[in-house]
Amino acid sequence: MLTYDVLIVGSGGAGLYAALKSRMEEDLQVAVLTKVYPTRSHTGAAQGGVNAALANKDATDTWQDHWFDTVKGSDYLADQDAAELMCREAPEVIREMEHWGCPFDRTEEGKIAQRPFGGASKIRACYAADKIGHVMLHTLYEQGIRRGVNYFNEWMTLSLLHDGQRCLGVNALDIRSGKLQTIQAKAVILATGGYGRVYWNRTSNAYGNTGDGVALAYRAGLPLKDIEFVQFHPTGLRRTGILMSEGARGEGGYLLNALGERFMSRYAPEKMELGPRDMVSRAIETEVREGRGGPDGEVFLDLVHLGKERILERLPQIRELCCGFEGVDPLEEPIPIKPTAHYSMGGISTDINGLTPIEGVYAAGESGCVSVHGANRLGGNSLLDILVFGRRAGNHATEYARQTDIQPMLQNPLAPAETCIKALMDGESSETIADIRRDLGNLMAKKAGIYRNAADLTEGQAGLAELKARYKRLKIKDKSQAFNTELTTALELGNLLDLAEIVVEGALVRQESRGSHYREDFPQRNDKDWLVHTVATRGRDERPVLHFEPVKITQFQPEARTY
Amino acid sequence: MTEKITPKREKLLANLRVQRYTPGKDRAPYFDNFKVEVETGMTVLEALRYIKDTQDGSLTFRAFCRSAICGSCTVVVNGNPVLACSTQLMPILKDFGKASVTITPLQRLPILRDLVVDIDPVIEKLAKMHPYLMENRDRIPETLEQESLMSQKELSEFNYITDCILCSACFSACSTVKVDDNYAGPLTIAKAYRYSVDARDSFRGMRIQAAMDQGLWSCVQCRKCINVCPKDTRPADSIRHMRRIAIDDGIHDTPGSRRAKAYTDDVEKIGQVNKPMLPVIVHGTKGWAAIEAAEAALAKHGLEPTRQVCTLPGQEGAAKIYAKVREIEKKEKA
Repeated sequence: MLTYDVLIVGSGGAGLYAALKSRMEEDLQVAVLTKVYPTRSHTGAAQGGVNAALANKDATDTWQDHWFDTVKGSDYLADQDAAELMCREAPEVIREMEHWGCPFDRTEEGKIAQRPFGGASKIRACYAADKIGHVMLHTLYEQGIRRGVNYFNEWMTLSLLHDGQRCLGVNALDIRSGKLQTIQAKAVILATGGYGRVYWNRTSNAYGNTGDGVALAYRAGLPLKDIEFVQFHPTGLRRTGILMSEGARGEGGYLLNALGERFMSRYAPEKMELGPRDMVSRAIETEVREGRGGPDGEVFLDLVHLGKERILERLPQIRELCCGFEGVDPLEEPIPIKPTAHYSMGGISTDINGLTPIEGVYAAGESGCVSVHGANRLGGNSLLDILVFGRRAGNHATEYARQTDIQPMLQNPLAPAETCIKALMDGESSETIADIRRDLGNLMAKKAGIYRNAADLTEGQAGLAELKARYKRLKIKDKSQAFNTELTTALELGNLLDLAEIVVEGALVRQESRGSHYREDFPQRNDKDWLVHTVATRGRDERPVLHFEPVKITQFQPEARTY
Repeated sequence: MTEKITPKREKLLANLRVQRYTPGKDRAPYFDNFKVEVETGMTVLEALRYIKDTQDGSLTFRAFCRSAICGSCTVVVNGNPVLACSTQLMPILKDFGKASVTITPLQRLPILRDLVVDIDPVIEKLAKMHPYLMENRDRIPETLEQESLMSQKELSEFNYITDCILCSACFSACSTVKVDDNYAGPLTIAKAYRYSVDARDSFRGMRIQAAMDQGLWSCVQCRKCINVCPKDTRPADSIRHMRRIAIDDGIHDTPGSRRAKAYTDDVEKIGQVNKPMLPVIVHGTKGWAAIEAAEAALAKHGLEPTRQVCTLPGQEGAAKIYAKVREIEKKEKA
């Protein structure tokens, strides 16, 4: 049996940072399991920047300012001790990345350059043109090669194994050969990213952001936190949900409905297009609901009036993306856009070291929830989260693995994974992955998306129960062992269905509006009853059971969140 | 003044020819044809997913970010390696004036299934290049209390290469990879160069050696890699620069560096390359065998071989250019 001291599931920034930290001491065997290749992880898609109070651009910036911005941005749902730690350690992790060769852009004095970002009171986001996530991911991967990290590319993890107290390892599918294997490990770090794909095509996320680690932790009995909070970005491309950065509106782009009206005048007459993300998303949704959207339920981001020169000079990337992905040239016609699910604030519940209630099992990054983002993540804090908590989980897991022996493995550990795959292979054949997935996305967008209310969410519950029943009848038609992507997407869909159910449950129970979670029937934030984390575990009937835990408030008392 | 917006959206029925192959099951690759209604905005990747979702669930290809940053979905469309996610179908159909598009896997790499190739050979070659920063302690502080300083100009020496997404389009298109299994391929040498000219690095010598071991001088500068790179990282330029720093660092005793030196020296002295003698300069005494073989071949055709090369008219002009270049170089160094 393959055996490692520290096994990392997922190869984005959090996973690779953890792997590197565990391996730098050289006395431990460390492996990364990834269903893609490490450099293809979705960390690479982050464009804008990563926050750290280096004070390179604004000498008055401090980590305390960053801390406050983070807590305020979270609509006071972040645990303030965790947010404090993240902001305090930020400069150090950025310097560590820099010392490993990460090509940040530079100031005139040769320091790491910083740019302004939404929701930040100071100039704080470190950047590398519009490819900061990409260069961070590659830097971490390359340093991993240097340090001898083992990469298991194109392996999909199916289940987490533990004995109720301690970590034992995982079951994983080697996608190339189609073979299942148990991999034994003293410590497992889950770093598999978010679950934005519960909204299927209404997301900026990669195809594979299906919350695999979160779902398998849930099935292994671990608690999940704040799953109902999913951030929507107002301007994703119509067909694909790919992001049109806020820069387009910053440069003076208009948002128009199908009648050609600048509809933001009805919702934010002063800020117009530059209102906060959640407000703009809701405005777009209202226009479409009231019949003023385009033929495909879209509205339009119009840049034509800016003129060719200005677009080519200031927004060349945006134009390229539009031409390549939408087939629309913004020099000539308005860009069709829809709000798009962007980031999962919730995840596997952990402490500040990424540790879960099972010894040796850790989670980090978007798949974990410490929580530092609360009800709404600040731009530039996602990359910081993966660095700080990937590093902490790596360090803590290293210490733990040194002091622990390999535990006796369960009897027949592969059994649950084999059963699951057999069930999919031998289903009744009346359903297809594509149909269930599309219906899931539509259901979630309509009933548990930007606008939520009790009636819709109750219908959402019923709809999901039906989809889960349909999933049980699913049959994989491709019988090949080698590279069976029909099988892997079916497994991903199973994960999405479990997580969608928790999103809906959490959203229904939480009778208030906070951050990304907006209830039409409870439009106000309610600190008296709902300044709590929603914690979900899997009940005996396989349905989520919710309980609530207090938010840690150490410094900042909740105030109204106005910008 | 408002005007109703009516987006221009067209539809076209197209035939997609897709190469299929499952090793161990199929004896050889073959083509399947799929009918797809292509509408404005549809990418090659969307079409492949549409086929997988509605016509044939076993069609196998890779895709992940669908925003041209992960490099998973590289395939060959009508002979050109491209990212399927950022390649629009409508313009291809209209350009070619026929409703058919052929999609095949990347070349020069083993097929795992249908459009999926094994890119491990590329990754293994990359790993041999020491593709990571080894700290130069004159530039990088020992502790994390401080940043190391670097100017934007120093960064620009290699910044364009960091756009590489390891999609392997250049590897698939490379003329040298085609004939030499041991050749490292464009992207890996480019990556070696990227770290070799990072002012914060200390491992340049090892990387130059690694690049020479894997065929640094084998590139023929056909520039196909430059044409196909979806991120415009210009690998062939990096290969040329890598050769230059190898020579700058005093590596004059390899066949490649001797050839480069012979070219430049000859042009300065006689205005053209002394081709008849090149094999001896490059390969030493072994080169005589090549010269004699070439002479015998010429003789066979009744041509009289010569080892003399005349000085071309205008050679003084060439010498002047050399002198000027040296002057400028000297100034720059000072």
